[in-house]
Amino acid sequence: MNVRFDFIMHWLWAVVWSLLGLSGFAMVGAKHGWLLNFDYATADYVHRISAAVFVLLTFISICYEVYRNIKRDTKHLAWFVIGRSGYQLFTFITTLILIITGAIIWICTELNMTIAGFALLIHEYISYIALASVIWHIYKKSHALILSKKTAAKLPTK
Amino acid sequence: MMQKPWFKVFIWFMATFFFFLAAGVVISVFRPGPTESEVMKFMMGMMSAMDNSMMGVAMGIESDNTLKSVIKMANSIALPVIVISIIAGIGIKLWQRGGKDV
Repeated sequence: MNVRFDFIMHWLWAVVWSLLGLSGFAMVGAKHGWLLNFDYATADYVHRISAAVFVLLTFISICYEVYRNIKRDTKHLAWFVIGRSGYQLFTFITTLILIITGAIIWICTELNMTIAGFALLIHEYISYIALASVIWHIYKKSHALILSKKTAAKLPTK
Repeated sequence: MMQKPWFKVFIWFMATFFFFLAAGVVISVFRPGPTESEVMKFMMGMMSAMDNSMMGVAMGIESDNTLKSVIKMANSIALPVIVISIIAGIGIKLWQRGGKDV
């Protein structure tokens, strides 16, 4: 089975993003707390650990993109999470903003409340935009959800 | 890979998850409230996170002088690193352009 690197990165990214989304939105405020049954501690744990994995995946993606650039590889990677144009570029920009503001929130909560508060505001609103963009992305790629006749035949019918 | 039944189920699960998440966020933003009990539950959760989660650990580390000095050092080298990476990026672009001409 030949599985491409960009394909693996895409789905790893999607899984980590889903964890970050659920845990992050549950921590926005009391109105959002019901998303994880007001279990702030679990949400906090999951968010920080997923964030570390998210940063690692982003770092690997950037390194790969730089490597491709040096190698003068101009082939379009359809599944790759970051890229030079379109939704890939949008994802790259929002990811960088989320990582930078997230790091500020993590580090500056005790050191500088004003900066942490501003970063929190940006982090929250960029997350709303990113989530809306994910819905739009799923809509645009909804053909992936269609079962081929071959696949449908393999699925249990009962 | 995309046509494997288990992978189709996975894609469907992920898509459904994100739709439910978006619906949950929309409901959270536009619903009335929060009620006093919800605020209490949320605050209690936050307090418990300070004791039982990484938040407490992170807050403890923040009072660490070594970490503070590392943060200061990271701040001071951040700008030069960004400038160097921009110069390196421009350098790679110019190098590639030079290669094309040959």
